Amino acid sequence: MATVARPRVRTGPNIPEANVQLPSVETYDQVTEEIRRTLNPTKAWLAGLLLAVVCLLIGLGAWMWQVYMGLGVAGYSPPVMWGVYIVTFVFWVGIGHAGTLISAILYLFRAGFRTTIYRCAEAMTVFAIMTAGLFPILHLGRPWKFFWLIPYPNWRLIWPQFKSPLVWDVFAILTYLTVSATFLYLGLLPDFAAIRDRERDPLRKRIYGVLSFGWRNSDLEWRHFARAYLFLAAFSTPLVLSVHSTVSFDFAMANTPGWHATLFAPYFVAGAIFSGIGMVFTIIIPIRRWFNLKHYVTLNHLDAAAKLCLFTALVVATAYITEFFIGWYGGNEIEHSFWYNRVFGQWWWAAWIMLTCNTILPLSLFWQKLRRNTTWLFTLSLFINLGMWFERFVIFDPSLSHEFEPWQWTRYAPTYIDWAILLGSFGWFAMWFLLFIKNFPVVAIAEIKEIIPPPLRMAHAVEGIDVAGMHLEYEPETPGERD
Amino acid sequence: MEGIVGVFRELDATVDAVAAVKKLKAGNIRVYSPAPRHELEHLLNTGPSVVRRYTLIGGLLGATFGYWIPIWISDYWPLVVGGKVVPSWVPYTIISFELMVLIGSLATVLGLFVVSRIPRITMTVGYDERFSNANFGVWVECPPDRQADVSDTLKKHGAVEVRGEQ
Repeated sequence: MATVARPRVRTGPNIPEANVQLPSVETYDQVTEEIRRTLNPTKAWLAGLLLAVVCLLIGLGAWMWQVYMGLGVAGYSPPVMWGVYIVTFVFWVGIGHAGTLISAILYLFRAGFRTTIYRCAEAMTVFAIMTAGLFPILHLGRPWKFFWLIPYPNWRLIWPQFKSPLVWDVFAILTYLTVSATFLYLGLLPDFAAIRDRERDPLRKRIYGVLSFGWRNSDLEWRHFARAYLFLAAFSTPLVLSVHSTVSFDFAMANTPGWHATLFAPYFVAGAIFSGIGMVFTIIIPIRRWFNLKHYVTLNHLDAAAKLCLFTALVVATAYITEFFIGWYGGNEIEHSFWYNRVFGQWWWAAWIMLTCNTILPLSLFWQKLRRNTTWLFTLSLFINLGMWFERFVIFDPSLSHEFEPWQWTRYAPTYIDWAILLGSFGWFAMWFLLFIKNFPVVAIAEIKEIIPPPLRMAHAVEGIDVAGMHLEYEPETPGERD
Repeated sequence: MEGIVGVFRELDATVDAVAAVKKLKAGNIRVYSPAPRHELEHLLNTGPSVVRRYTLIGGLLGATFGYWIPIWISDYWPLVVGGKVVPSWVPYTIISFELMVLIGSLATVLGLFVVSRIPRITMTVGYDERFSNANFGVWVECPPDRQADVSDTLKKHGAVEVRGEQ
């Protein structure tokens, strides 16, 4: 007979902890059924999908026009040859970072609140990287030659320049996309099996059977799965830090004022994680409401994620202050002039949108009431998305338009083609995400079953305690957990 | 392959049943559970997963390949700048790191598939669709003369259904 340990009573304040509980989720059956139910298509979902496809088609049309007319229609004029496309490329790469942070880094740290939100965040990562990967191609005058960056042997013996940050970018982004997609799929395997075994429609059953690779939930599979998942998380953790560092090298390796800074790698990584958490809120708050998953993604989980958001906002604010300080104190006249122009001159409006959205508004998260207010979190997340897009805009275009020689100083304004392609990128992202949430479980079924108390015989009927005595006694009145 | 499969509703009943069946030494035991449980893993005492070897080998191969390709290409097109050595290992470390992660990750998944014996075409013997949802299962691969003992043991420890399969 297995032993039962005496329960420890949770007496601390209402702070989400590693051993997070889901009091309204009681049985394994309930988990499978409630999450499987989210796969049924609805009219609202179909309308959303159609809207996303329309946005995508607008972007596609704009791109075809650009291919026909040339890059001039995108508002480029020397020396500003990096505009909205590179801004949006970095924006989407950054969005992808929170997914890996939540799924891999928080997994290694055993942060329990990640369990209910990581699937959406991971899917967001994969689709964000897929979106980001389009922009270097859109940015090319001859996009059909994009494969020249890939080091494949060919008859001209032309190989990429491995000392160039642009080639590092290709390796980093492709690796990140592959590893993120692999990590996402690996986590989905047991869930595909659960859906396969409950599915009654023969065609869908067969499809989920193929997708699950014949997964059977055996001890052999779980043992190796847990180890493989851990190793993938361990690989993804330094990868997520390296990818945006590599993206930052695209800029920091240049002598351009405002770019040539050793701060760039950590600054970009912190900003990426911050923007990604913002997008997680934008996605997860409507999903928990529309899919009736409030008892899975509880206010405690959102509270914990909001604290993470606040922390990264403070790191980003520190990076801004450091940049400004070095620009002022560094003694370099060109840098000094550039910084003044960025914050108080030609580009003041963009800089202050960035500062307001990324450093001032997130300070509201110091208040617990606002961290647990989903309307505010959703609104704030939209501001963060806006602010982080403008952060990249403020980094790139003010620098290129205000380099060393005054006769080079110029203006840059995105054209309607830029805006249409930006809209198309959101359509592309939303289309994949909407297809994902109606075909794949948005919450990890197997992992939820890991954190709820297992079914026990009457002899062990102490609420919330498994045979190893690992679970804590639940405190039923914790605000938000039953919301 | 023939044996007995028992379906359980509770984790502790499954744990007790597995412990009892192990004592019988009737044959190989396979346990199914809707989610991974340390109680079962500890009881079966199967040792560390060998997936780690695939990860290590994949990671080392990736890192080596990531240095080798740029060095080879640099030597193939030697652009001498300032009399410095042509291959430059510092930027090549980025390529090496990325390929270490890429090939190491893919090797990990390959290792999982190989040692877990998936993809699996059929899953009829010893498996029940309830095992991925809410029930636990114990499959004991044993000869016909031991099946009665195993069946009795599983029932005694709370199996809601016991059946022979082959």
